[in-house]
Parts: sequence; C-alpha cells; structure tokens
Amino acid sequence: MQYLEAFRALARHRTHQIVVTSAGNSGQAWWAVTRDTEATFYLDASMSLSTMFASGLALAQPGLSVWAFMGDGAFCMNPGMLMVERQMNLPNLTHILVSNRAYGATSNAALPNSPQNDYCAIARAMGLERVFACNDIAEIDRAFGALASTNAAGHSFVVIEVEPFSAAEQKLEQPPIEATELKFRFGRTVERRTGCDIFGYRL
Amino acid sequence: MDEPDIARRIADQLAACDVKLVASLPDNWLMDLIRAIDGDDRFRHVPVNREESAIGLCAGAYMGALGSAALMGASGFMTVIYAVTKINYTYEIPLLLLLTLRGAVGDHHKHHISNGLYLLSVMDAIKLPYQIVERADDIGAISRCYRHTRTFSRPMAVLLTRDLLRGAH
Repeated sequence: MQYLEAFRALARHRTHQIVVTSAGNSGQAWWAVTRDTEATFYLDASMSLSTMFASGLALAQPGLSVWAFMGDGAFCMNPGMLMVERQMNLPNLTHILVSNRAYGATSNAALPNSPQNDYCAIARAMGLERVFACNDIAEIDRAFGALASTNAAGHSFVVIEVEPFSAAEQKLEQPPIEATELKFRFGRTVERRTGCDIFGYRL
Repeated sequence: MDEPDIARRIADQLAACDVKLVASLPDNWLMDLIRAIDGDDRFRHVPVNREESAIGLCAGAYMGALGSAALMGASGFMTVIYAVTKINYTYEIPLLLLLTLRGAVGDHHKHHISNGLYLLSVMDAIKLPYQIVERADDIGAISRCYRHTRTFSRPMAVLLTRDLLRGAH
C-alpha cells in the first residue's frame, strides 16, 4: 500500500478527531492530504513521543477523540510506551503505527530487525486488546469502521503497513507552520471544542 | 519533620497549583513522595517507562489544560535533554520538573558522581531555570516555580536535596 494512499483513506475516515503526527513522513503525508492548520499538532522530530503527547491530551480532555501517528522508526526507539498506554487505557486514544520498515524521515535508512518486527504481537504481548492490522485500504476501511461504530473500553492500536516514501515523496512539503503559531492554533481549537482554558487567557 | 510529612507537604504544594497529573520514574530519594502521590486522590499518578515519556505526557496534558508535573531522578533528567529542548522549548510548552539533586554533598553514592559534576552545568547550558529546595521551610517555592513555568512558557526544575527528602545524616 502506498503511504499517501493510506493517508488519503485515513483522512476520509476522520470526522472530528484531533490528530498528533510524528516526525517526518507522517507529518508530511498528513499535511499533503489534509492541509489541516487547526486540529493537528505536527509534533516534529519528537523521537517517539507523539503517542505520549497524545495520551496526555486524551487524559486531559476525555471528550476529545485523539489520533496519534507514529512511524515504526519512532516506535522502535521507545516500544515501552505501549506499557504506559495500556496502563492508562484511554478509550479516546487511537495509536496509529505507520510501518514502512525504515527510518523514513532519514532517507529510508535501515531499521533494526525490520522484516521480523511484529508490531501487533508486541502490542498484544503488552496486554492491548483492540489491535488492528491493515495491509490494504479495505483493511483500513474495516478497522476504522469498527473503531467508529463501537464504544471502546480501552485505547486502540492500529498498524498500517505501507511502502516507504519514494524519492519524490521525500520532497513533499513539511507543514510550514512555526512551532509557536501551531501551539496556539491547535490550543485554541481544543479550547473551542472543550471550553477549557489552556493559555490562561481567552481571545 | 519526618519523610512522609515532607512528601505530604510537597504533594500539597502540587495540589495547590492544580496539578492533576504526575508522571514519575523512581529514585530512592523520591519513594516517599511517589507513594504519597500514588495514594492521593487529588492526582492521577502515571508511572512511565522512561523519563522522556513523562516529558511527552506532560506536554500533551498542557495542551489539554491539565496541570501536570514530571518527577524523576537526576540521572533520568540527564536522558531527556533532547525531549525538553525539542518539545518544551520549541513549542514553548511549560513543564514543572521535580528532580533529585544527586551527586551533591550528602549523597553517599559514588555512582552519582557524574550528576554531581554535570547536572547543574547541563541545566545552565540549556538555560533551564532551577531552584534548589533543601529545607522544609522552602517547600512553598514549588508552587511558585510551577506558576513561573506558566508565565515563562518553558520548563523549570525544582531540585530536591537529600537532606530534605531523607534527613541530614
């Protein structure tokens, strides 16, 4: 499955979800297919922390539904995050692992043990129950249809297997928003949707 | 004042500034405090797998308007420099760090010599403000430091000494 094709499918399934992207390719791909400047936090180069960031947000605002993208490169830096996620078990968090079997943000450099890594098995071994494997668009449609139609008891983990970015795709634009502007745009969106006060003053 | 009283007073300080989430990694000096927070209904205590996860968790909580603090040892802090500078500095996201002042006078452990040599220097190098709390009478500084992070829109550390956490012996 092509990376961008998968992200177009994800964008079709998005209704009201707040999104947190990880470094590099997932941020580029999500920006390419959505141009979202309000309800996506492009967490640039966090080296594995996008789902922890999303977990804090999901805990803080249980009425928000949060999707968090993470490449398998970031996942391999900190797989123990799944223990924390399982422990928190937030029903409004969906961890979307985009597996391209490479360090995509760094020119598809080799990922350790990449052919053997079974991310769904790792997740199940840590006690996660709502685990979905998607190898094509039909499986994305099924997984996200199931996610939308049930009141989940705990958080969900979706593994999407994609082809690495091509050389041309590596040149896709990065989200061009300055970090502090992004913080305020995203934060104001969260404030509008929830009524909370993040910054200590409201516009 | 014994150690559980110190722990309770620190927890009260956190609660006073509306901290609801505490993410922690252990350090022997912090165990009374971690136990106090874990058993305190005012907090959601999340033990994390590594210190960087606490940084991510607290940053996300801030973006959802939830007060938080990250509790860890000095060694753990030394592993999170990239996460703090990348997330908290780049996006200007406040964070209160409660750390142990390892390697200072009174620390009997040779394996903390590196922290004694470099912890404060590293904080200075990344311009991370810190305040050392070494006496029970200074515990009130914790809520002031928390509020400073909100004004400063960046992280600040409170360094807790052995004398405060374990008594001077």
